[in-house]
Amino acid sequence: MDMKQKMPITPTTPVPTPSVAIAAEAHARGPSTTEPPLPAESEAPSVAVEVPAATFPEGLDAGREAKMCADRVSVFYGEKQALKDVSIRIYDDRVTAFIGPSGCGKSTFLRCLNRMNDTIPSARVEGRIELDGEDITSPDMDVVQLRARVGMVFQKPNPFPKSIFENVAYGPRIHGLSSSKSELEGIVESSLKRAGLWDEVKDRLQESGTALSGGQQQRLCIARAIAVEPEVILMDEPCSALDPIATAKIEELIHELRGRYAIAIVTHNMQQAARVSQRTAFFHLGELVEYGKTSEIFTNPREQRTQDYITGRYG
Amino acid sequence: MSSVAPTRWTDESMRKRLRRRYAFEGWFRGLGLAAIGLSVLFLAFLLVTMAAKGLGGFVHYEARLPIDFVKSDLFLDPATLRGPDATQTVAGADLEGAISKASVSAYGPTAAQLFGDAAVARLSRAIVANPDLLTGQTTLWLPVASKVDITAKDKGDANSEALVQELRQRHALRRNFNSQFLTASDSTDPSAAGVWGALKGTFFTILVTILLAFPIGVLAAVYLEEFAPRNRWTDAIEVSINNLAAVPSIIFGLLGLAVFLNSMNLPRSAPLVGGMTLALMTMPVIVIAGRNAIKTVPPSIRDAALGIGASKMQVTFHHVLPLALPGILTGTIIGTARALGETAPLLMIGMRAFVAAPPGGISDPATVLPVQIFLWSDEVDRGFVEKTSAAIIVLLLFMLLMNGLAIYLRNRFERRW
Repeated sequence: MDMKQKMPITPTTPVPTPSVAIAAEAHARGPSTTEPPLPAESEAPSVAVEVPAATFPEGLDAGREAKMCADRVSVFYGEKQALKDVSIRIYDDRVTAFIGPSGCGKSTFLRCLNRMNDTIPSARVEGRIELDGEDITSPDMDVVQLRARVGMVFQKPNPFPKSIFENVAYGPRIHGLSSSKSELEGIVESSLKRAGLWDEVKDRLQESGTALSGGQQQRLCIARAIAVEPEVILMDEPCSALDPIATAKIEELIHELRGRYAIAIVTHNMQQAARVSQRTAFFHLGELVEYGKTSEIFTNPREQRTQDYITGRYG
Repeated sequence: MSSVAPTRWTDESMRKRLRRRYAFEGWFRGLGLAAIGLSVLFLAFLLVTMAAKGLGGFVHYEARLPIDFVKSDLFLDPATLRGPDATQTVAGADLEGAISKASVSAYGPTAAQLFGDAAVARLSRAIVANPDLLTGQTTLWLPVASKVDITAKDKGDANSEALVQELRQRHALRRNFNSQFLTASDSTDPSAAGVWGALKGTFFTILVTILLAFPIGVLAAVYLEEFAPRNRWTDAIEVSINNLAAVPSIIFGLLGLAVFLNSMNLPRSAPLVGGMTLALMTMPVIVIAGRNAIKTVPPSIRDAALGIGASKMQVTFHHVLPLALPGILTGTIIGTARALGETAPLLMIGMRAFVAAPPGGISDPATVLPVQIFLWSDEVDRGFVEKTSAAIIVLLLFMLLMNGLAIYLRNRFERRW
C-alpha cells in the first residue's frame, strides 16, 4: 500500500487556487494547442522491440509501482464482448488518457475501474484489476469503499439538485469524514478551492448546484469527487458537453490535480489527450491497440491503426 | 445526376398541400376546443344543479315558541340539572310533549306537529345551559319540523300551507343557518339529521387508509424498482399489481368481509376495517404511480451518488425518493380521492348501518359521507332530498380540501432545493 506520496487532504492543507490570470489567459487563447510540459520521468531505456498489439513498450515504467493495474480484462454485455483482454497500468502522478472511436470500449473499461458496471445487470467482467495490489473484481471487495477511493466524474455534469454546499458535503458526510460542522465546512471549502470554483461560488453556497453554468457544474462535480479524498479520479469525457473556455478551465484543473491523484481520462478530443496526459491508451473495437507515452503515441505511433486514427483517417 | 425533377416549392400542388395541412391543424384545434367546452358545460351543469338543490339544506326555518314551563307537565327540578348528568336527566323528561302543548296553545290545533326532533334537541341544550328557564316562561326560536320547513321553502305539502301562512303573518317564522346539519349525526327525522358523524367516520377511515397504503405502497414501489431482480417472479408481481388496480371495488368489499370480519373478527362497521379495505384498493394505485415516478429520476443522479461511494440504500433514500416524491404524492392523491368517494366496499363490511352518534375512534361503529349520501337518497321522507344534495356538497368540499392539502405538500417538496 504505497500511500506515502499522497498528502492527506485536510482543511489546513494549503491549496493552490487557479488564479484569475489563468482563467483570463485561457479565455484569451481559446482551446490550447500547446503541449504542457511533461513531468520528469525516470529515463527508462526505451528499446524498440516488436511487440504484439495491446502490450506495453518494453521497459516503459519499469520498476515503478502502479496505482491501478488491469490484467487481461474482458467485459461482456450479455453475449456481446465489449472489451478483449485489456491490460493497463495507471500511475499515481500521471494522467492516463484513453482515446479511440465511439463504441471502442474505453468508457466500459473506465467504469470497470470503480465497478460502476455492477449497476448494469447483464455486464460481466473477467480478468483481474488491482488497486494497490488488491483485487477489486473479487466479490469480497467492498464496492462502497472502492468507489470512495476511486472517484468518478461523468460525461454530463450531474450535480445533485441540492445546494452547492450540500453537493460537496454529501460525500464526506456519508463517509463520516468530518466530526464537526466547521470541519465539514473546511472540507467543502478546500475541495471547492482545489476545483477552482471557490471564488465563483463562495457567496452563494446555499444556491442550487443545478443553477450553475455547465462548466461550473462540471467543476462542482470534480469538487464533489475530491471531497471524499479519493486516490484515483476517473473522468469519462468530462469536457464533451462544455464550451472551449470551460474546457480550458477543466484542463487547467487536471494539471493542478495531477500528482495528488492518479487520473484516468476518457476523451474523444485528441488534442485534449495530448494536452493533459502523460500516458495514452488507444482502443479500437474493444481491444487495446497501443499504450505508451503520450508524446510517442502522437508523434511516432508503433501501430498502423493508431497512426490512422490520430491522423483522422477514421473514428 | 439525379433523374428526379427538383422539388418546386412554389408549385400550385405544393401550395395546395400546405393549405390542406393548415386546414387539418385548424380542424384539430377546433375539436380540442369543443371537447374542453363540452366538459366545462357538464361540470357547470353538475355544479349548478348541486348548488340549486343542496344549498337549501344549509338553511332551515325556525319558529318562535312562547313556552311556559310552570304550566307544562315537565317534572324537572332546576337543582338536579346542575350536576354532571344534566343531559341524561333532561332526555328523560317529555320535552316533546311540552313543546307540542305550547305550540298548540300558541298557534292552534294544527300546530301540534310544528316541531320535530331538532326542536327537542335544541330545547334540551337550552335547558342544560340555563336550568333557571324551568322556573318561568320564556320565548325560544326553535327549528320547525321537516314538513313545515319544506312548505316554507315553497316546495309543496298543502297540509301545512295554512300553518306557514299563519306563522308568517304573526312574524313567528325566520330563516337561519342550519348549524345542526354540520354538528349532528344521522337521524330518522330529516330536520335533526346532520353530516358530522359521517364526516368524522370519513376522516378516520381515510386516516387508516393513508397510514396503511402510503408506506406499504411506497416501499413496495421502491423495492420493485430499485432492489428487486428482474425475473419471472417480479414480472408476475407486476402483472398482479396492475390487475389489482383494475379490480371492481365491490370485490375488495367482499374480501374485507371475508378476511377482516369473518376470519380476524375485527369490529363490524368500524373505520378501522373500512380503512383497511380501502387501503387494499388504494395500494396498487400508489405502487404503480410510485414506480413511474421513480423511473423518471434520471440515472445520472444515481451514478453521481454511487460514484462517490453511496450505498444502494443511501442512493435510494437520499436522492431517488426525494426526487420521486412529488410524483408519488400525485399518485397517492388520485388513489385517496378514489377511496374517499368509494361506497360499495364499505357497504359489504357493514358501514351502511344507522349510526346516530359520531364515532369516537377507529373501532367505533361509523359511516362515511358517500354511504350517508347513498342512505339518504334511499329515504322515503321528502326532507332528505335536500339533505342528500347538501351532503354531496360537503363531500366535494372535503375532497377539495384534501386535494388542496396534498397539492400544497407536493409543491413544498418540489421546491426543496
